[in-house]
Amino acid sequence: MAKDIYVFVECKDGTIRKASLELLSKARELTEKTFSNVYAVAVGFGMNEIAEDLKFFADKVIIVDNQDLKDYRWDTYRGVLEYIIKKYNPFMVFGVATATGKDLFPRLAARLNTAIIADAIGIEYEGEEIKVRKPFFGGKILSWMAFRHGIAPVITFRPNSFAIEKRQTGGEIVEETVEIKKDPRLTTLKLNKGSNHKVDLQEADFIICGGRGMKGSEHFRILEEIAYIMNGRVGASRAVVDSKWREYDDQVGKSGKTVAPKVYIGCGISGALHHTMGMDTSKTIVAINKDPNAPIFQYADYGIVDDLFAILPALKEELKKTKEEN
Amino acid sequence: MKILVFIKHVADTEARILISSDKKTLEIENKYTMSFFDEFAVEEALRIKEKLKEGQVVVCTFGNKKAIEALRTAVAMGADSAFLIDNTDMENDDPMVNAKVLSGFAKREGFDLILCGRQAIDDENACLGPMIAEFLDIPHVSTITKLEIIEIKKILVESEIEGGTALTEVQLPALLTVQKGLNEPRVPLITGVMKAMKTAVPVVDPSEFGIIKNELNNESRTYVLSYEPPSGRPPVKIVEGEAADIKVKNLIELLRNEARAI
Ligand SMILES: Cc1cc2nc3c(=O)[nH]c(=O)nc-3n(C[C@H](O)[C@H](O)[C@H](O)COP(=O)(O)OP(=O)(O)OC[C@H]3O[C@@H](n4cnc5c(N)ncnc54)[C@H](O)[C@@H]3O)c2cc1C
Ligand SMILES: Nc1ncnc2c1ncn2[C@@H]1O[C@H](COP(=O)(O)O)[C@@H](O)[C@H]1O
Repeated sequence: MAKDIYVFVECKDGTIRKASLELLSKARELTEKTFSNVYAVAVGFGMNEIAEDLKFFADKVIIVDNQDLKDYRWDTYRGVLEYIIKKYNPFMVFGVATATGKDLFPRLAARLNTAIIADAIGIEYEGEEIKVRKPFFGGKILSWMAFRHGIAPVITFRPNSFAIEKRQTGGEIVEETVEIKKDPRLTTLKLNKGSNHKVDLQEADFIICGGRGMKGSEHFRILEEIAYIMNGRVGASRAVVDSKWREYDDQVGKSGKTVAPKVYIGCGISGALHHTMGMDTSKTIVAINKDPNAPIFQYADYGIVDDLFAILPALKEELKKTKEEN
Repeated sequence: MKILVFIKHVADTEARILISSDKKTLEIENKYTMSFFDEFAVEEALRIKEKLKEGQVVVCTFGNKKAIEALRTAVAMGADSAFLIDNTDMENDDPMVNAKVLSGFAKREGFDLILCGRQAIDDENACLGPMIAEFLDIPHVSTITKLEIIEIKKILVESEIEGGTALTEVQLPALLTVQKGLNEPRVPLITGVMKAMKTAVPVVDPSEFGIIKNELNNESRTYVLSYEPPSGRPPVKIVEGEAADIKVKNLIELLRNEARAI
């Protein structure tokens, strides 16, 4: 049996989200082992360019292009994916555990009465069997999970779980027409898409996070500047969000967002468990704190024990130089 | 208005968790609490009832006997009644199974509105809300931050979406998952705590609403192969230097050439 993997591709402002490219890359690695295909499934409105880009990440690109799919809604998207899955009968379906993915995939899995593993961070073949890596208790425990007898299991993965690899040759594009049905019990009155240029916190490669040690909202400006240089995002501890120095959208930690960037820098953050649970799977962790006994140093790869107000201006200059050299 | 709130009893952040030697089971220190986001759900249900000056708030959890504690907390906050659906003898903790059980309870109990947390803090699945809504064939909205009742069968909700917020009008019955920011959960008063201690919490078996536990075990679609601790990092390297700018230079050097991170 073909073990084709279907990746639901999320787009943002007319471009493919990085996290979706990660899933396509991982799906390719898995399907190469089973001589199967990767399908990219992209749903939306005005999808031509996206489809062309996707050719370099999938064997087949399925596009559903319809004005009524311009903005995501679980009812319309669920209908489309249900149609595609029933028609093509995939071996597995991958999605990203973003706000959209978390809203859509559980409902889709229930609809199809199929297995779901949510918020995973890895997947491998062990012989013929698939096993999925999923953290529990904010990363205190890791697990390998398996499927019993599910048809087309659905798996959602955290952003930054896999590396992106583009391929040389392009796949084929297939356009599907699906009837769009809106649930009449739900009326969208207003969509407020906020600042579009901001990198999504969970997708950012570089996060510089400020804690209570930043002393006030005005000092976050230098963190913004550093984040801008590195094309990353500013994050915050809960103490900072509770003090209204930053928006809740920036909060990293157990009651905020779980992030795993390539580089995380914590400035004036003590490293309470509630915070570290949201960032301890980051690839490289740097802590800047004037207290050598701050718990954050137990989670960090590199530490600077100093006053952050002395460190940050120098850090900004050095990072700028590094970027200019590259 | 009848409001159901599904709450989960979870291990506290500080609880010590040990992995058994065969790596198949976890031993969790006896420190449990109501899952963080569920408190906002209980609070919102109480506020709706207070505002409408009528209604009923029913809390329910699918868990073991210990989970009665979380239910009592909700009663102490002001919930009218609480039910424990007993999960003893259940082999697996699978979202599909849990959603079937809880939607079965909801069908029997009847409701106008169901509230759930955005996600449970132990598994972080964020699955149960939308799945229960699907099984009940009702609309849902995830991660709501504002709620307003406009008519007896119609509500207005603001919710977090990718990169922003949405304002949606929803016809009841419906299910909502709640996000932090929706409200400030109250701390139970001592009179509430006393009432909660005296409140009987009925233990229901899923068979009462037509779900047979043994069959559920077959319905479970996922299982854990093994648990392990995270690999942990090598001890931190404290970057030295006579002055702040030297420390930073040394750090950048390490990030570039050792960690290859920038
Ligand atoms: C249920 C629950 C959920 C929670 N969820 C979260 C969550 O999601 N995210 C989260 O972050 N927290 C969360 N918390 C809160 C968490 O427990 C901590 O209270 C919080 O993370 C502390 O924030 P902080 O590190 O910014 O502040 P503090 O703990 O006050 O630390 C400030 C640090 O700054 C250092 N410092 C001060 N001045 C300077 C300076 N000039 N230069 C260098 N260093 C300096 C200090 O040495 C100190 O280590 C939660 C708590 C609970 C109870
Ligand atoms: N066993 C359970 N009993 C009752 N409610 C639950 C249970 N598990 C999850 N929930 C509810 O569903 C929400 C999401 O849980 P989860 O899908 O596990 O992240 C929680 O915040 C609770 O409101």
